[in-house]
Amino acid sequence: MKALILVGGFGTRLRPLTLSVPKPLVEFANKPMILHQIEALKAVGVSEVVLAINYQPEVMLNFLKEFETKLGITITCSQETEPLGTAGPLALARDKLVDESGEPFFVLNSDVISEYPFKEMIEFHKAHGGEASIMVTKVDEPSKYGVVVMEESTGQVDKFVEKPKLFVGNKINAGIYLLNPSVLDRIELRPTSIEKEVFPKIAAEKKLYAMVLPGFWMDIGQPRDYITGLRLYLDSLRKKASPKLATGPNVVGNVLVHETAKIGEGCLIGPDVAIGPGCVVESGVRLSRCTVMRGVRIKKHACISSSIIGWHSTVGQWARVENMTILGEDVHVCDEIYSNGGVVLPHKEIKSSILKPEIVM
Amino acid sequence: MKALILVGGFGTRLRPLTLSVPKPLVDFANKPMILHQIEALKAIGVTEVVLAINYQPEVMLNFLKEFEKKLGIKITCSQETEPLGTAGPIALARDKLIDGSGEPFFVLNSDVISEYPLKEMVNFHKGHGGEASIMVTKVDEPSKYGVVVMEETTGKVKKFVEKPQIFVGNKINAGIYLLNPSVLNRIELRPTSIEKEVFPKIAAENKLYAMVLPGFWMDIGQPKDYITGLRMYLESLRKKSSAKLSTGSHFVGNVLVDESAVIGDGCLIGPDVAIGPGCIIESGVRLSRCTIMRGVRIKKHTCVSNSIIGWHSTIGKWARLENMTILGEDVHLGDEVYSNGGVVLPHKEIKSSILKPEIVM
Repeated sequence: MKALILVGGFGTRLRPLTLSVPKPLVEFANKPMILHQIEALKAVGVSEVVLAINYQPEVMLNFLKEFETKLGITITCSQETEPLGTAGPLALARDKLVDESGEPFFVLNSDVISEYPFKEMIEFHKAHGGEASIMVTKVDEPSKYGVVVMEESTGQVDKFVEKPKLFVGNKINAGIYLLNPSVLDRIELRPTSIEKEVFPKIAAEKKLYAMVLPGFWMDIGQPRDYITGLRLYLDSLRKKASPKLATGPNVVGNVLVHETAKIGEGCLIGPDVAIGPGCVVESGVRLSRCTVMRGVRIKKHACISSSIIGWHSTVGQWARVENMTILGEDVHVCDEIYSNGGVVLPHKEIKSSILKPEIVM
Repeated sequence: MKALILVGGFGTRLRPLTLSVPKPLVDFANKPMILHQIEALKAIGVTEVVLAINYQPEVMLNFLKEFEKKLGIKITCSQETEPLGTAGPIALARDKLIDGSGEPFFVLNSDVISEYPLKEMVNFHKGHGGEASIMVTKVDEPSKYGVVVMEETTGKVKKFVEKPQIFVGNKINAGIYLLNPSVLNRIELRPTSIEKEVFPKIAAENKLYAMVLPGFWMDIGQPKDYITGLRMYLESLRKKSSAKLSTGSHFVGNVLVDESAVIGDGCLIGPDVAIGPGCIIESGVRLSRCTIMRGVRIKKHTCVSNSIIGWHSTIGKWARLENMTILGEDVHLGDEVYSNGGVVLPHKEIKSSILKPEIVM
């Protein structure tokens, strides 16, 4: 089976992290975002993954070579020369997605993390015999999204309603599709929207079915949702009683610590924390609801919450970092500094406190 | 003769422009910043220029290959693995700067633009017979800088005073030096400051002389000074009756337009404007005190002042940009948008007005 991951563009919402690496390679729970998806696809027997990209192909290609070998799966790129929307890239990658087998292929949005119940989705697709299946997820405030209106028992999709004013349903497009090759005949090689142009046609022919995603779902393409997403992800690890979660008197709630990271005495770590490879967390540090990327050093007595600390940065002694502070790569926060929502671009030194949320360039 | 240009680090003060290219390659008056200096050095017979860098050597090296050929001068890089201050890099490049001829070598700060009276400096250096010469420039508010206290008649330097509280002189270090090879014996390969450690020792031995820089001088390493620097540079072109300045009814004051740029009817351009290669300025556009980088399109009736528009950006119709608006590479401003000091990172689309100075990431 094949799969296409819509990687897209510049990842500007995840700046400053994406000033250092392309978005799919930004780590989430200590693993490049895109690797979560590729591993889940491999686990259901997908043999080839195509990445639809339009930016920094060289960086992506280097990554691919490394992981093709490690994972034993073919990974290729399909590069847009002009933006093709959410459906156009499928047409562009046509030759890679269709082989004589006639098997359906997966399409995923790259920012999405979830349980990835791909096996169940394949069975659902076979059973209904339609042309396309999409995953939908339940949300509390559907009026902000595109709602998928469907027959509850069969999952057959009636229509899509963008940002409905009256309540029409609470399921939204989760960005995970399983499509028969015939869908490609419906997509021209031009900027096209899959939600506005392609799916409504298939739904009108009663050939589009929606499956409600079990478990968690989050679009982690911006920092606030990235942090919420980590909580959901670690929660799902807890439910599976995963040994990856850290245990011990210094740990509270769900915490992921890479085996090469060092944690000093008297720390209190958690809940909802991920600490990456090679990190050094000195004694007496308090971390909650944060991601600490590879190679970061956090000095004694510092207190960090609801933040993301970028690769190879350092946070000084007694520093207090909170409220969606995002440090880019190689940022050095001096001792005793306070950051309230500072967003700091790479290669900077912070010598005075940031009292209100602002970008430091 | 040889020369060393201190290129240094990440160029963060010139972001967002330096998020796209390393600082020495940012264009100033339609030419990469560093090329102004390299051409002036070549003109007085320097055969080899060493760039002391610590960031993005690959990008710099590609640039070098291109210009080595075009200019017929040897250009090499000397890369710091740790920051070495303002003197350390000179020690690091020792082998490239000394060739046994005993000739002095130039050292320049990369952010500086000026008339580069290097021939006069060589004569001055030979005339006094000392070990080192530095250029100094007159400023109105010396208390903000490091002041060079010197004998007015001979130029012999007595001492350096950092940010003097009482008036001791109004000449500051212009960042252009001519040094005998023996100066290298005074510099250890460690982080060292040339102003605080090396020059004071040479001055104490009565071997350091200062020449007052004729003409303009500016450190263009941040946007406000970059814009002031352009004004000064174009004025110096005017004084030399340079044929490069544009003439015609559409132009007021000093304006530089690349020959491949296209300017529509009814525009009023200037004063103090530089328009780069391949730009398209549609009809009825007003530009003053701004730099338009390569490949920019400015649509009809728009008004831009005191701003820098980054490579390949577009500005919509009836837009108004002013007060230190800086657009990075590939930024697209919609029709009728107002920007009051917006600083926009690369690859962004701006659809609503920016009412007060802020960074858009």
